[in-house]
Amino acid sequence: MKKKLWDPIFGGIMIGIAMILTFYISGRGLGASGALTAFAASIQNIVAPSLNQSSKYFSKYFANGANPLNDYLVYLVIGVMIGSFIAGWVSKDLKFEVLKGPNISSKGRLWYALIGGILVGYAARMARGCTSGQALVGGAELSVGAWAFMFSIFAGGFAVAYFIRRQWI
Amino acid sequence: MIGPLIKNGIISEGVNTLCAVLIGVLFGYALQRSGFTNSKKIAGTFYMKDVDVPVVMFTAITTASIGLYGLSLLGLLDLGKFYFLPSYLLPMVVGGFIFGIGMAVGGFCPGTSIAAMVTGKLDAMVFVGGFLLGSLLFGDLYPLWDKFYNSDANGVWRIDQLFNINLGLAIFLVTLLAIFGSLGMRKLQYKFWGKND
Repeated sequence: MKKKLWDPIFGGIMIGIAMILTFYISGRGLGASGALTAFAASIQNIVAPSLNQSSKYFSKYFANGANPLNDYLVYLVIGVMIGSFIAGWVSKDLKFEVLKGPNISSKGRLWYALIGGILVGYAARMARGCTSGQALVGGAELSVGAWAFMFSIFAGGFAVAYFIRRQWI
Repeated sequence: MIGPLIKNGIISEGVNTLCAVLIGVLFGYALQRSGFTNSKKIAGTFYMKDVDVPVVMFTAITTASIGLYGLSLLGLLDLGKFYFLPSYLLPMVVGGFIFGIGMAVGGFCPGTSIAAMVTGKLDAMVFVGGFLLGSLLFGDLYPLWDKFYNSDANGVWRIDQLFNINLGLAIFLVTLLAIFGSLGMRKLQYKFWGKND
C-alpha cells in the first residue's frame, strides 16, 4: 500500500521553508530547469561542440573554461533526486510505470510526454526559469514578471486542456 | 548570524554547496510526498479535477514571502544582498503560455519531472528527454528569438512598486489572494468533480 500523501498546505509550507533556506544561506532562489539546460548543453558539448561554440546562448556557459555542471542549481537538483527517491522508497511508490488516463495507450501517453517536454524546455528558457525558479521564487519575491508568468501557465494549460482530455480523464 | 550566510562570509563555498544538496533533498522529498511525481495529478489542475498543485504553490510562495520579510524585519536577513529576478514581461507571458500548454500535454514541469523520473515514472523520463531537446532548440536557434527574449526589460519590478504600496501591505494582499484563490479553486473542484475524487 502506498502511503497517504501530505496535506497540500503542509507540503507547501515545507517547500516554502526550502525556499527560505536557499535565500538565508545562499542569497538566491532554488530552481530546476537551469540544471537540466546545463546538462543538455554539456551533452551537446561532447556530441556536437561546434553547435555550442556558434551559439550565442550556450557559448557563455563554457566561457573561459567554465563547466556549467559545477553550478548551485545542479547540486540542488542532485539533492532533489536523492530526496524524491527516499520519499518514494519510504512511501512504497518506487515503480516503473506510465501514469495516464484510462482512454489512452501507454505509447500514446509517452508521445504526449515527449512533446510536452520539448514545449516546456523551450518555454522555460524563453521565460528565464520554470515553475520553481521563476514562478515560486519570483512569486515570493513579488516579481511582476513571475506572477504574469504563473498566470500565463494556467492560461496556456486551460486553453489546451479540452483538446487533450483523452489523455487524462 | 545574519543571512545570506555565504555573502556575509559566514560559511565557505563548500558548505554552501553541501547546503544546496541538502535543501534539494528537502525539496525533492516534499515534491514526492505532495504527490507531484504523478503526472495525472499535475494535469488534473487544468481540469479543476485536483487543485492540490496550485494550493501547494500558493502556500509555498506565501510561506517564503512572509518568512523572508519577517527575517529581514528581525534584522536576520539583508535583502540588499539578495538576487532579485528581473522582469521581462512579454517574453515571460509568452513563455508562460507555451509552458502551460507543455505542462498540460506533458503532465510535468521540470522539477516534478526530475522527482518523478527517479521514482521510476517512464513518462517523466521521456518528458525530461523532451525538455533537454527543447532547451537545446532554444539555445541553438537563439538568433531567431534573441531580440524578443531581451525585449520588455523592466529590471527588478515588484508588485509593491507596481501599485506604489508598502512592501508589507503587498505581501499581506498576496497572502489574501493566495488564501482566497486556494479556497475558490477547491470549491470549483468539488462543484465539478464532487468531494470524493
